[in-house]
Amino acid sequence: MTELLTPRRLIIKITLCLAALAVVMFVCSLVGTQKISLSAVFAGPGDTPGQNTDYDIFVRVRIPRIILAALVGAALAASGVALQAILRNPLAEPYILGISSGAALGVMTAAIAGVSWSFLGGSPMAAMAFLFAIGTVWLVWFTGHLAGGSTVTSLLLAGVVINAFFSAVIMLMTSLIDSEQLRSTIMWLMGSIGEKDFSTLLASAIFIIAGIAALFTISQKLNVLAFGTSEARSLGVNSRKITLVAFALASFITAVAVGLSGLVGFVGLVVPHSVRLIFGPDHRQLLPASALLGAAFVVICDTIARTIISPAQLPVGVITAIVGGPVFLILLSRYSKKVGTLR
Amino acid sequence: MKLLWLLLVIAVILLAIIQLPLMYRYVDKYDSQQRPQRIVSLSPNLTEIVFALGLGDRVVGVSNNCDWPADAKHKPKMGTFWQPNTEAIIAAKPDLVVCESFLQHKEVAETLKRAGLNVVSLRAESIDELYNAIIQIGSAAGCSDKAEPLAAKIKSELDQIRTKASPAKKVKVLWAVQTEPMRVVGVKTFVNEIIDLAGGQNVIAPTGDQYPSVGTETILTSGAEVIIQSAMGTEDIARQQETAEKFWNRFANLPAVKDKKVYVLEADTVLRLGPRLPDGVMAVAKLLHPELFSQPKDANQGGQTLK
Repeated sequence: MTELLTPRRLIIKITLCLAALAVVMFVCSLVGTQKISLSAVFAGPGDTPGQNTDYDIFVRVRIPRIILAALVGAALAASGVALQAILRNPLAEPYILGISSGAALGVMTAAIAGVSWSFLGGSPMAAMAFLFAIGTVWLVWFTGHLAGGSTVTSLLLAGVVINAFFSAVIMLMTSLIDSEQLRSTIMWLMGSIGEKDFSTLLASAIFIIAGIAALFTISQKLNVLAFGTSEARSLGVNSRKITLVAFALASFITAVAVGLSGLVGFVGLVVPHSVRLIFGPDHRQLLPASALLGAAFVVICDTIARTIISPAQLPVGVITAIVGGPVFLILLSRYSKKVGTLR
Repeated sequence: MKLLWLLLVIAVILLAIIQLPLMYRYVDKYDSQQRPQRIVSLSPNLTEIVFALGLGDRVVGVSNNCDWPADAKHKPKMGTFWQPNTEAIIAAKPDLVVCESFLQHKEVAETLKRAGLNVVSLRAESIDELYNAIIQIGSAAGCSDKAEPLAAKIKSELDQIRTKASPAKKVKVLWAVQTEPMRVVGVKTFVNEIIDLAGGQNVIAPTGDQYPSVGTETILTSGAEVIIQSAMGTEDIARQQETAEKFWNRFANLPAVKDKKVYVLEADTVLRLGPRLPDGVMAVAKLLHPELFSQPKDANQGGQTLK
């Protein structure tokens, strides 16, 4: 580390990231299949439906979609940072501990059972994805805890095994049950950023921002934890407690994101590492910067996904991987010498 | 700090309860008495129904997959069947959107309704649901007078085929939708209804999956007398026929293979549940009971001649 992280520097950096995100969101809201004019948007909706299509497209299609993309990006990137810290594993990402298969199982169950209730304005599919994701994470934590030993290793093992087991259950379900219905749920799971209504977005935004803020409050302890459990203990940090808190928060925001948009891959891996390569490994700035830049990243990717082969659209996961992969490799080759190590 | 969290939680609960009424201004405001002049269809079979009802010149948008009738190909595209483009649909200013009811279309339908559009979601996965879809589109588009005769016409044509085919002995049919890995038509599909109408019997026992994947053993012991394979992609039917014959030769003990009754059928009329259904059923009937249905024409090319 060449320079000390003072509160002033931190605030400047976060403000810069925030400004970047704001610019990205604004520019992306102007890009789309249809050309729309801002002055028409500000003219208001008009009295009858369809009178001002520019307004309808801007307010009911683009804005919700961009907000959704930003939320999902922020949640996945922040969750990636936290999991990489507590698992001390550069390959850790939000889906590593069974959240993905748990969510998938939830969605399948919802599709099969024809569940029709909703949760905080989310569709039954989203609600089930969320509940199963949380349930799976709890199961992983519980089994990992039972296994004892080094918490990190048993957590990873439990996560991998439960992931594999649930994937098998999903395969079993798909071969037993009506495929038409499941096909659409599989498509949904592959990552689908669409338009949600504002109350859903608002509720999810509060959950995700609160989760990231809470992670930020323990970011100093994540720094210590990254050295290893025993070092953390000698520095007076209860590593087990911090691991549990960070794990719960990361899983929670990931589950909310999965409920919103299925499994958007690659963000939780590539964004934290890229930010780390540029800004350095201090979690106090890594976490907020990753969340903000992750949001901007997914907004850009989604904008590409919805416009590049317009009027058709690509799944956003395709773009996050295609854009994220090369960008990450460039950063890796350019900065890794400077920083020295991934962590 | 704790107080802050408590406040946050309370705020979340409050906000979740308060739906933003502002965002729902338009809902149900649409005047359904007017006859729609600008129609968007998001599914190939629904597009065929809309055109068959004589509403073709009012269509202002279709999905990328809508390719029949020929006029539909030249209509503005509104994204794919699986991922419709909400933005393009709103910009087309439709006063009627017809779509299906599965997950992706449901989400799009909700957004469109929030923007004040008139959306009709239909489920069309069996022949009865096809009649129903025709009637519903007719009533939504203000032309029930055309919809009912169309449904009745399809019904009577299917009945004619059924009546003609029913006295004959049921032919055992294996219908492959894909060969590697092998996936066949199960009994809970409208394709199974087509087989029944055309005087056949699906050799596959009831399965959970609609289009189950089956093993070689099941195929060998199925005793299929006719094998139908729906064409895939844009490759020439004759070429696909050749490939299929080669493929099925490995099951030499099947009656269908011995009697050279392996057919590749053009997929659009038999795998798309629309107004061309009687053509599809007739094509299948010609393959199953050439003695009853066939004019002196090459039965192989049944599907193609319909085009």
